[in-house]
Amino acid sequence: MGLSVNSVPEIRFEGVEMKYRTAAAEVLALQQVSLDIAQGEFVSLLGPSGCGKTTLLRLMADLIQPTSGEVKVAGKSAREARLARKYGIVFQSPVLYEWRKVKHNITLPLELMGMKKAMREEKAMELLELVGLKGFEDKYPWQLSGGMQQRVAIARALSMEPEILLMDEPFSALDEFTRERLNEELLSIWAKVKNTVVFVTHSIPESIFLSDRVFVLSPHPGRLSAVVDIPLPRPRTPEMRDSAEFFELIAKIRGSFEGR
Amino acid sequence: MRPQALLIRNKLIPLAVWVVGLLVVWEGLSWFLLHVARVPLAQSRLPFVHQVASAFWKYGHTLLKEGGVTIGNAALGFLLGAAAGGLLAVLMSLSVWVERLAFPYAVASQMIPILGLAPIIYGIVRDEQVSRILISGYITFFPVALNMLRGLRSVPAASLELMHSYAAKPWAVYWKVRLPAALPGLFGGLKIAAPLAVTGAILVELMGAQHGVGVIMLRNLYYGPSHTYMFWATVLAGAVMGIASYLLMSLLERLVSPWQPEFRPKGGGE
Repeated sequence: MGLSVNSVPEIRFEGVEMKYRTAAAEVLALQQVSLDIAQGEFVSLLGPSGCGKTTLLRLMADLIQPTSGEVKVAGKSAREARLARKYGIVFQSPVLYEWRKVKHNITLPLELMGMKKAMREEKAMELLELVGLKGFEDKYPWQLSGGMQQRVAIARALSMEPEILLMDEPFSALDEFTRERLNEELLSIWAKVKNTVVFVTHSIPESIFLSDRVFVLSPHPGRLSAVVDIPLPRPRTPEMRDSAEFFELIAKIRGSFEGR
Repeated sequence: MRPQALLIRNKLIPLAVWVVGLLVVWEGLSWFLLHVARVPLAQSRLPFVHQVASAFWKYGHTLLKEGGVTIGNAALGFLLGAAAGGLLAVLMSLSVWVERLAFPYAVASQMIPILGLAPIIYGIVRDEQVSRILISGYITFFPVALNMLRGLRSVPAASLELMHSYAAKPWAVYWKVRLPAALPGLFGGLKIAAPLAVTGAILVELMGAQHGVGVIMLRNLYYGPSHTYMFWATVLAGAVMGIASYLLMSLLERLVSPWQPEFRPKGGGE
């Protein structure tokens, strides 16, 4: 990769501020955030509720627009990136279309792109294999467990081969065991797909286990209070969760929250 | 084999017991009024079931022919009313202005008693077929529009945000998300409207027409006690038509949107 490619960050926030106007008052949801995320990086946005981490993700996705400042994606605006279909999004709930079979949930974005039927069904089968749901293609969403539904949502988000995968607390509604297993699976999927991932979570161990860097956000007003490098080697293994280094990182991140 | 046996035991047997029980009570009450209480015009109050059934059987051909006329007009009006209601729902969901303009009129239209509206419409169009179709459509229109609009609005915000992130065109959002999500609402409206459309058509016939179940209903009512059984048979025919129209909509709903929660087997998935 040439220097010229690396010099443009995949995602750049420049002095981004976000205010909401309610009937009673003006709420500062995000205060002056500037950050760079490199291509192929796995970063987490970590913080308690009210810290603006979801707002940050929604700004990246062009679901909302900043009050001031700029959001750039590969040098262009977030809107252009969205129209170029560079994003795959996974929400906290799977948000599957219940009238569509599993495979047709995955092919929906491809239909919008105008891909031929045979091609998109083939793509759906590949993705189902990738997320470990081979054999479930003809089921309806309600026939799957919560964890399986979320895997369908991930497969759907990956179907357009997005440069950036945005995940908003995707596993927080699942039990601890399922969550840890899906963390490991997500990393092995990411190792194959090699795109940029922005992962919103309020779990410190989850953010450490997954990420190259953790962006720590603090509430009232929401702001970026620290960026913590996670030097754990890859591939990450479940045993790392019990290592001394892992616990040191937990302590370090805990210490970086402001206003407590 | 087992699910079938369960269906018979849990659904069909109780239903049969209910129907038979009702008929027995009816027959007994009718006999009581006629022979024990000796009330005047006992058979007009509650005729024997077997007499009504025999009239129904004997004049089955007439009932079928006249019923066909009624159903044909009601169905056409129903289709037109459903189409208009669905279209208005889509327009109202697209624009708050359309909703603000149209909704008060739609509500007000439902305040007008059909009993008064039917002769007015007949007076304007001077055609029994057309007035039957118009009244059936008029009755259908409102429940369909209202329920469909609710369905179109039922789409969770996150579903729409996903479509936004796929850079979906507005028509694609409607075609692939809003309309499928509105199907349960649409069928809810259709199931309410279908029997009402039949009733509406019969009502127009009572006002004066050449053909239809309502016409023979009225005729037999005029002829007095001697035609009591036939009168009851026409009422029965009207009820059967209403029930049939409802069942047809339920069947369609199962075929078109089988994914709905109420059609899922009890006890969750596999």
